[in-house]
Amino acid sequence: MAASSVFLLMVGGQIESAEFPEFDNLYCRYCLTYGQDWLITSGLEDGLTQITKKSQDERQQFVWNFPIDVTFKSTNPHGWPQLVVHCYGPDVFGTEVVRGYGVCHIPITPGRHKVRLPMFVPESSSSLQKFTSWFLGRRPEYVDARVVSQGEGREVTRVRSQGFVNVSFNVVMKDMKKLGYDVLPSDVSTVNVPENVGMTTAEA
Amino acid sequence: MAEVHIIGQIVGASGFPDHSLFCKWGIHTGGAWKILAGIREGQTQVDNPQNHDVAFFSHPIDVHFATKGLQGWPKLHFQVWHQDSFGRNELYGYGFCHIPTSPGIHKLECPTWRPSGTYLDQVSQSFLGGGPQLKNPELIYSGADRYKLHTIAMGNVHLQVGVILRNFDKFGIEC
Repeated sequence: MAASSVFLLMVGGQIESAEFPEFDNLYCRYCLTYGQDWLITSGLEDGLTQITKKSQDERQQFVWNFPIDVTFKSTNPHGWPQLVVHCYGPDVFGTEVVRGYGVCHIPITPGRHKVRLPMFVPESSSSLQKFTSWFLGRRPEYVDARVVSQGEGREVTRVRSQGFVNVSFNVVMKDMKKLGYDVLPSDVSTVNVPENVGMTTAEA
Repeated sequence: MAEVHIIGQIVGASGFPDHSLFCKWGIHTGGAWKILAGIREGQTQVDNPQNHDVAFFSHPIDVHFATKGLQGWPKLHFQVWHQDSFGRNELYGYGFCHIPTSPGIHKLECPTWRPSGTYLDQVSQSFLGGGPQLKNPELIYSGADRYKLHTIAMGNVHLQVGVILRNFDKFGIEC
């Protein structure tokens, strides 16, 4: 009986690219965070991309084209998995500095989704720390990047947002409907829209 | 009992007179609704954007409700605050929006407002900052005593909300 209350969520996708106009070299890590009822049945929970240089055209893009393929199983949508992305790049002295954290939920509906993740870095909390971090060339960063996927305790952090990471997802689910879950409007997903709907304005 | 999952993010806020914003949020429901898991109120990080005018919070929301009735469908309410370089907070706007009743992913824009006060209040606010605030935050999401207020438009809060419903069709509810 226990096995029948399980649904599966298969996520394919890629960390496509990033927009960080002020930097030249970047690499990126991802990790997946999820609630207690969730389990990864196949695929990697975290990953590390190659280091890439900004494109030398007007797009000024970092391309990673990094695959994410993972399957989850769960009994409860609460604790729905989130993708945490964090980017690093060398500063002028060659030390690796964090350039941004970003987070989003894995889309809850099946299909293809493109997400543009805003990235942010934590700021020093006092001007003394600001000075020492500038002097030592060490930016503040989170000890564990997973905190950006938590809602609690965020009121103490001050951040500065800079740049974006583009991620695409392909989501497939199994047995959600069987367990009574609706992730799409029931009649919208089955209704047949006649082809002439919405054509009246074109004639006027 | 039918169940509702609200899974999403307070993405950010834009259109406010200054940067360095944060947001206090909460979910209000009617009496028939019970929270099974998740946090129903919180506060986001303070974001001071580098080179654009949207403050990003990326604040996750993941709440699980069970309900015996449809009345009092959950509403999200916000208070957007501005934090200056000395760490002083100033109210920038109130707003609320209904959680969509249809399942799926929804991108929402929630317009906000703040009380404008009397002419004297506005003059003193332009010199000193601060400004009137609601004594009773219930006014954000109830329409009962709104007519007494004079308000002024502020920016927008951007949200991405995913809604998963369970067993609604079992009770004949069409969403």
